[in-house]
Amino acid sequence: MAVTSLFDPSGIAVVGASETPGKIGYEAMRNAIEFDGPVYPVNPSASGTVFDREFVPSVTDVGDDVDLALLCVPAPIVPDVIEECGEAGIGGAVIFAGGFAEAGEDGERLQGRLVEAAIEGDVHVLGPNTSGFLRPADRLYATFATDVDAIPSGNVAIVAQSGGLAYALAFRAENEGRGVSAMVGLGNRATVGFREAVEHFDADERTDAILLHVEGTDDARGLLETCRAAGTPIVAYNVGEQDVGDFAESHTGALTGRYELYEAGFAQYGVPTVRSVAELLDAGTALASCPRPDGPNVGVVTAQAGPGIAIADRLKAAGAELPTLTAETREIVEELLPGMTYSANPVDTGRPMPEFGQIVDAVARDENVDVALVYELYEGAIGYPIDALEGLVAEVDKPIVFATGGPKAVVRNELAEIEALGIPTYRTPERGADAAAALVRYALRNREPEAVAGGDEEVQADD
Amino acid sequence: MTETDPAGARDPIQAALADGRTALTESEAKGLIADRGLPVPGGETVGSADDAVEAAARLGYPVVVKVASPTIQHKSEWADGAGVAVGLDDAGSVRAAATRIFEAAADRGIDAAALVEEGLDVEAGLEVIVGGARDPSFGPTVLVGLGGITVEVLRDVSRRIAPVSTAEAVEMTCELEASPLFDGYRGAPAVDRTAVAEAIVTVGDLLVEREAVREVEVNPLLARSDGAVALDALVSLEDEP
Repeated sequence: MAVTSLFDPSGIAVVGASETPGKIGYEAMRNAIEFDGPVYPVNPSASGTVFDREFVPSVTDVGDDVDLALLCVPAPIVPDVIEECGEAGIGGAVIFAGGFAEAGEDGERLQGRLVEAAIEGDVHVLGPNTSGFLRPADRLYATFATDVDAIPSGNVAIVAQSGGLAYALAFRAENEGRGVSAMVGLGNRATVGFREAVEHFDADERTDAILLHVEGTDDARGLLETCRAAGTPIVAYNVGEQDVGDFAESHTGALTGRYELYEAGFAQYGVPTVRSVAELLDAGTALASCPRPDGPNVGVVTAQAGPGIAIADRLKAAGAELPTLTAETREIVEELLPGMTYSANPVDTGRPMPEFGQIVDAVARDENVDVALVYELYEGAIGYPIDALEGLVAEVDKPIVFATGGPKAVVRNELAEIEALGIPTYRTPERGADAAAALVRYALRNREPEAVAGGDEEVQADD
Repeated sequence: MTETDPAGARDPIQAALADGRTALTESEAKGLIADRGLPVPGGETVGSADDAVEAAARLGYPVVVKVASPTIQHKSEWADGAGVAVGLDDAGSVRAAATRIFEAAADRGIDAAALVEEGLDVEAGLEVIVGGARDPSFGPTVLVGLGGITVEVLRDVSRRIAPVSTAEAVEMTCELEASPLFDGYRGAPAVDRTAVAEAIVTVGDLLVEREAVREVEVNPLLARSDGAVALDALVSLEDEP
């Protein structure tokens, strides 16, 4: 909550605002004026107006209603401007300039001065060396990047170490017809790092899942503890697998690769990890849309055997269980599919059929099933079982994931209806399986302690 | 079960730090983990070949004789292999091994002692590495893998952020590719996974509780059907505590 003035400001000052298109100070201003609140261009050496707003010479001259400053100024004067922000009572700042800790000793010194000024003035600083953040629902675009208003509003927050990767994710979301509640590139993390961002978006009511991109931090334990404390599901993309460090002697230090520690740590602290931007978004979408899964048992319903096998294969590799269905469910399935298909788990219907929805319903309600995964190729005469799925998620309180294939123009509208029912949809068998696998890993990594084998958990907590 | 080292009465970490050392001797390291309940072979630190023979008689044959010096970390590579002699089953071979150590130390101007230990049958178990390191970003971490060349070549290890519970540590052993070996491959007796897990817990707790400890390595830990014994242990300390 401490960084509210940064991520949920009431007004914005664009420091270094410019009238020259293409300059950061112009692009940031153009984005900023989309915001439904006061926006001031600040530039001591400019006069007149930009985007119909009058220049003010300093942040100390802007009104009380401004609590976020976007710094479009060269690195060397950044610490002074932050100091002025502190004097002006501006509690949040975004620093786009590079040339700080990432750029050698002089840069480190400069970042040191910046951090000092930020702490002294109680300014929460995003960056430096960041492309900023955005909050589409508020039309808040604290960035110099262009075409950002194309990114729709949604319910996942992107917290990325790299601004570039943050945009890669946000635009992937847009391309997929999805949106984000927020997109943040952390950059050099002068004062606002993973912990502050995760805590903020954990408390954000528009955020139902947090997508984390991590290259490395000097406080990995703190990050893990913050993730464990968060109530909002988090999924992480941990990069750097090939950087295994010195393969020296067979000793503990040399074996303790950072990538492996992140993977182990995220598993231990309840965070599923993925291996690509696409998978991160798919997993995050599933976690944000679905009820929390109680366990790793997946009931698969497929209208085609091949995709069903591909799905089952991938689920098992991810640690999912494909439980035997109860006798009651099997009876329902057998009655609907008399003897011609595979009615264990996966249930294979052979092709879409009018009763497909009833079979999904039966499997989703099965007490042995924690997650239902459905695959069917689209058939025009039958369509999707939207009526059968309606209300099912709420009734069973379990995740249902829907994967399909068919002509884009035909399936798009119907899939939007399925998504509106709280069922995430995916266009390949593997993507559906991976999304379900993320739910499974989330369940496995967040089991209640008494469900963990052994039963002598948490003894050292009292030591 | 462990020897009574003259320094044993004091805390070995404090003692090493007071001496300006960045590592414990093997017997100090073993004493430290033995105090925490992780079994180590019985042993004595001796200053002469005669004392080595007497110690071996008290411990019972076979025995192992190793060089003991705070300056030597990789004992088996030291002095063309003089640093470690295993499977000694009579007084003559103990005397020869100890003499070789003292002579090699004298040649190198080192004030070394010799550690005489009960010789355990490594064929009757699985050699495991249990390690722990203080990572600058993660803090205390632990790992487990099969010992020796397996871990070097295959890097088949499981890691956790410490502290870990015994149940979590059992899970670590199950994550290893080599996990089926713990269950008794090809008629070998299954080893005691819980005992290995307790060793992992011990190493993790040591790092959590003692900030001066930088790295711990128990390699090999001999995992048997009736428990696990630390055949060697290395504890290194922070350079600037």
